[in-house]
Amino acid sequence: MLNFSSFVQKAQQLLEPVQGLNLSESDKNPSKASLFQNQFRLPSSQHPLYEITAELTIPPTNATQGDRDRDRGYQYAGKLHLSEAFLSFSTTPSSFLQSATTSTSSIFTGQTHGGGPNGNGFTFPLCSIRRVERLHSQNFQFALSISTWNGISQDAAKEKDKKELREQRVTLQLAGSRQACERFCDGLKKGLRANVGNVAKLKKVTAECYSEYLLRPDDKKNAAPPDAGLGMLFKYPGDPKKLRDRAKMRLWAEYLRDNGRNTTLIRQPTFHKLIRVGLPNRLRGEIWELTSGSLYLRLENPTLYADTLAKFSGQESLAIDEIEKDLNRSLPEYPGFQSEEGIGRLRRVLTAYSWLNADVGYCQAMNIVVAALLIYMSEAQAFFLLSALCDRLVPGYYSTTMYGTLLDQKVFESLVERTMPILWEHLVKSDVQLSVVSLPWFLSLYINSMPLVFAFRVLDVFFVEGPKVLFQVGLAILRINGEELLDATDDGAFISVLKSYFSRLDESAHPKSENPKLRAVTKFQELMVVAFKEFSGITHSTITDLRLKNKDAVLSNIENFAKRTAIRNLGPDSKLLSNDELGALYDRFYGVLYERQQRDHIIKQEQARRAKSSRSRIAEAASEGSHSVEKGRVGLGPSTSLMDYDAFREFLAGMCKWAISDSPSTPQRDAFAEKEKSFYGSFRRSDTLLSPWGAGPEPAEHEFLQRLFQKWDTDSSSALTLQKVVSGLARIKGKRDIMGAINYFFELYDDDGDGKVDREGILRMSEALLFLSRRGLEGTLSPSNSTLTLSGDSTNGPHGDVPGQPVSERFLGSVSAFIRRCFEYADPDHPKNQDNAVQNIQQKLGSTQLDEPTTGEELANPDAFAIGDDDDDDDDEDEDDEDDLLAMDSPTGSPKAAAKKADNPPPALQLNSTEITPSKNDTEVRRRVSKAQSERANVALDPSNPLHITLPTFRMVVLADELLEHFFETSFPTSFHIIEGLQQATPTSASSLTTFSGLGIGARPAANAGAAAGASAGAGRGLRGVLDNIVTDGMRVAAEVRRRMEEAQKELEKNALAAGGPHQQHQQQGKQRGGANDEDEDDEDEDDGGFDRASTRSGKSGGAGGLSSAYHGDAERRSVRSSDRDLLTGADAEAGDEALLGSQAGTVGIEGGEGNSAGQPSASVGGGGAGKVVGVEFDG
Amino acid sequence: MADSSAPKPSSSVKLVLLGEAAVGKSSLVLRFVNNDFQENKEPTIGAAFLTQKCNLPTRTIKFEIWDTAGQERFASLAPMYYRNAQAALVVYDLTKPTSLIKAKHWVAELQRQASPGIVIALVGNKLDLTEDGTGSGGDAEDAGGEDSGDARKISTEEAKTYAEEEGLLFFETSAKTGFNVTEVFTAIANAIPETSLKTARGPGASHAAARTEEQRVNLNGPRDPNAKEGCAC
Repeated sequence: MLNFSSFVQKAQQLLEPVQGLNLSESDKNPSKASLFQNQFRLPSSQHPLYEITAELTIPPTNATQGDRDRDRGYQYAGKLHLSEAFLSFSTTPSSFLQSATTSTSSIFTGQTHGGGPNGNGFTFPLCSIRRVERLHSQNFQFALSISTWNGISQDAAKEKDKKELREQRVTLQLAGSRQACERFCDGLKKGLRANVGNVAKLKKVTAECYSEYLLRPDDKKNAAPPDAGLGMLFKYPGDPKKLRDRAKMRLWAEYLRDNGRNTTLIRQPTFHKLIRVGLPNRLRGEIWELTSGSLYLRLENPTLYADTLAKFSGQESLAIDEIEKDLNRSLPEYPGFQSEEGIGRLRRVLTAYSWLNADVGYCQAMNIVVAALLIYMSEAQAFFLLSALCDRLVPGYYSTTMYGTLLDQKVFESLVERTMPILWEHLVKSDVQLSVVSLPWFLSLYINSMPLVFAFRVLDVFFVEGPKVLFQVGLAILRINGEELLDATDDGAFISVLKSYFSRLDESAHPKSENPKLRAVTKFQELMVVAFKEFSGITHSTITDLRLKNKDAVLSNIENFAKRTAIRNLGPDSKLLSNDELGALYDRFYGVLYERQQRDHIIKQEQARRAKSSRSRIAEAASEGSHSVEKGRVGLGPSTSLMDYDAFREFLAGMCKWAISDSPSTPQRDAFAEKEKSFYGSFRRSDTLLSPWGAGPEPAEHEFLQRLFQKWDTDSSSALTLQKVVSGLARIKGKRDIMGAINYFFELYDDDGDGKVDREGILRMSEALLFLSRRGLEGTLSPSNSTLTLSGDSTNGPHGDVPGQPVSERFLGSVSAFIRRCFEYADPDHPKNQDNAVQNIQQKLGSTQLDEPTTGEELANPDAFAIGDDDDDDDDEDEDDEDDLLAMDSPTGSPKAAAKKADNPPPALQLNSTEITPSKNDTEVRRRVSKAQSERANVALDPSNPLHITLPTFRMVVLADELLEHFFETSFPTSFHIIEGLQQATPTSASSLTTFSGLGIGARPAANAGAAAGASAGAGRGLRGVLDNIVTDGMRVAAEVRRRMEEAQKELEKNALAAGGPHQQHQQQGKQRGGANDEDEDDEDEDDGGFDRASTRSGKSGGAGGLSSAYHGDAERRSVRSSDRDLLTGADAEAGDEALLGSQAGTVGIEGGEGNSAGQPSASVGGGGAGKVVGVEFDG
Repeated sequence: MADSSAPKPSSSVKLVLLGEAAVGKSSLVLRFVNNDFQENKEPTIGAAFLTQKCNLPTRTIKFEIWDTAGQERFASLAPMYYRNAQAALVVYDLTKPTSLIKAKHWVAELQRQASPGIVIALVGNKLDLTEDGTGSGGDAEDAGGEDSGDARKISTEEAKTYAEEEGLLFFETSAKTGFNVTEVFTAIANAIPETSLKTARGPGASHAAARTEEQRVNLNGPRDPNAKEGCAC
């Protein structure tokens, strides 16, 4: 899988869409490189390195066309450009220097007479240049004589032949300062040397060009000619006599002999004239390939086609199914496509392209276009030409949303309005939609609309002059039929006028004329004249401008449509959610995917830039025109509609408080990612450059999320579609039915679907409950009214009525009661085992340990066991449980040292020491011990004594506790803030996430928060997690405080107040810590390191907050390692975003506060460590 | 054409065909308009436009048929074609379960987005591939690769139940044999409420339309065989 994707990626790089036409962000300011590539139809690997004004002289021996100047041959003044692998000359006076204005760079007028988009000149691959000599005899300072491999490379020619062959040699006189000339020559020298290795490729590629065969001396023509398409086997369409194919061939042979063939061809005015009158059949494919630039794509990677086919052979895809449907119906009237041979070729080309460019895949109309191409060219040629078409010539035409097609229809309509106002008015008045008629013209490049012979004539010009030709021809069609069209008042009449026109294209345009010459002019010739003369004002830049103008409207139209359709088609489950919710889900779903793609792209770009920086400086400067392909936007055809696990986490973090990580970017996170890699291949490695989570909060990682993902991922494809997400959410949120919610939760943990959840599962369930509640409960359980609504609960214990008793704390109690009850009511799997269980505990422990997967979450188990253990010792009273928990959470500092030494410590204390120990091995040992103790105390916990609960048991246990009942009834479903998201939800509904002022008040919120943090940690990663949370939260407080201190004056007061809280606490803890054990030194060191990272990180994510704007600063930021610097930059970036940030900062700060105050019991040590650091940082 | 002198009121009805790719939309139209069938019909690019008359006892209906492209990505073009449509034929392939799902999507879209009161007919095509195909032509010839004779994957019951729920006309047809094809269009013509019928859109329209009548007008180009005399019902 990995191999494929990397292969495809590589291939895509080779055929990367060109910016200027790709309607991306860079439209408005296309990079010089893309303009350069466009003008010379070069692959996207080429950049304008050097350019110089020059005069091209073609010696008289070569110049047989037109009026010749016997003495000096032909001369053209223009610009000479050098890229990595090409030397290009054009009479179009364009410049691609960084200093050049955009308009001089984007000259791409495509004058019909003589010019063409590339003007006169040449585009030589450097490997086709045989020799460059400097001439001294010329008037100019600098003159180069360039000779090519034209005609020589093919048959290692004998001396005699060589003499017969005129060597192609042109002279270039450079005009410029001596220095500039020298520099250019140096660059050329380097380029030539670098490209020597490509001569072999060149030979292979040109060997497939028909011109090589055509120009071979007759005595050598015994070899089979290269493949010039199906036409060689099945005849070319049209009557060769009528097409005067022979005469055309003669002219072309002459032109090619004089001006070079395929890669070494020099464009002179005759070249364009010859194209205008129609290409001869056997050369058509090659000239198409040459003028479209797809020849250079093929030259760059000659085996890509065969490789792609081989790589994906035997695989299936949706595109292939679609292709199969259409194979028998692509130009079915052409005999070649009634044969297996023709259909086979068509199948292979379409399939290979669908693999290469999976975003496009296959679109109907491509079959017709490719079928047409295959009549004139080989499979590989057609494959590359199709790439050039989809990426450059008609970008977005065949994408999944066909935005290019729709956009060009808009462009066409505005051109009609502009050039034929009367007709346009008539269309509007009669309510005729022009695109109904014209869309197929563009989509199938007229192949499907005109008789084939004429459509190919249009294509001849289209490939050399670009997409404007489609518009010119379209306008000419309307102009010629204008009068009749003005009579037509509905779509039907309109269509029939044009249809009958197309069928008469071969008839005389002036049948009644006296003048026989005029009478001989066919309607098609008339069409061409009108198109290219009358509408010569329609240039490439006209089209580009209009595309730009209409782009947004078209895209948002498509997006609205796509959204509407998608929401409507989400299946029966979607009816459980409201339309608003579905809309919001849709936005969130694609929003996350889009964001991630953008980020991914930027990160990749950054890496590429770094990789490049080792190369030549010029190359870097040239490539700097940022290649920001706009991808993922729905209107452009989302490149993915699948959500992987990481994206899923991010998606949830945008809606659910509990899905946000407590401790972003701790080293532990990376460890987690590493571990998960085997499960979810798509895990990105965390990039230190940019936050992989962008501006949003870092999502949490928890086993619950994985289970939820797997549950929603109904077909186990490791990716969610929108439909799956909606179905998943609908089951949680849609029914508002507590039994449903309980069942759902149970199913999440019933791995094998046998209706039983074992011991492990029970503990995981309780972890998940704590995980979900660690930021407080929502819905009816908001702190204000929960004490009222739950007053019934208070009868169970004295705490219920106490105003200071927070819900989350009591929830903790409920969860521990839950575990206890689960074990109590669980059914034993094998009752007989119970007897010898106790004796075997120690022995079996080891093996159990091995059996269990060592995921990070596993660390939480001791915690859970301990809870169960404690519970068991006590009686069933709820308040007692809570007491126990609290007790566990609030050990004093001193017993710890004792605990460490003691062989048989009380479980709770033992746990603490477990968590403190940094080494994992150590942890395991201790854990084992603690587990053993737990088990000794409670038979139910004995792993050799399997047990399980069933759904009814689970239901009963849940319903036995009011708080849990409420959790499943309301707070769990409402914790998904689909519509409003978290931005608003956080400040209002947070029960434990108090505001700064709340924190200032004192102990109560702190205790509250402590419970929550303790719970979260217990749920997340065991007590080890608590420690980490506390430490990192402390750091974040520090970082935040620091940042805020540096912010505007008005904030200062508040900040000082806020900072005071945590700071003081840190100090206290620091003191407390003084008496604690010595082994903490290690931790402290670790923490220091961690702090640096954390603060760096916060700077980064801050930067990401203003991603696009702050992005330029990134390189700079990177180079400065100091966290201060990062913080400052981060603060700067965030300054613009105050409103949003204010709340965020608030949350962060409080979290930190919680962490620290919560820390007292179980991890005062860690907290102390952090406290110290904070102090230092604060002062500094 | 012979009817043009008849005194019966004549009105035009815009009808659009929707459905998954390769279910036989174009073939149904070709059968209805030209009483013809082509084994390998080129896929419709964008849409094709055709007209055909349908004689009812009390009036004549001229169908202006928009035959749309079926591939998923062309869906965003569909509103362009079903705009102002008074009738729609949503076609699925009896031998392909996914095509019924797609058809349901189309029905949902039409019910929400198209002009209110649009008459929708659900049509299961390729009946000739099933055992009960009233085949006069060589049925089950290419029954999805297997020679079992019955490639039916969607039962009449299932589709019928759905059609009744949604208030659609329902037919199973074979464009290949011609079975039930004209019946579909007749039923639609009958179902169009009198009130929504306007007489032809003005003198210009009927004049221009006269040229196009009975002729297959298709964007697929002039290579199509010349239009034959259509079957008027």
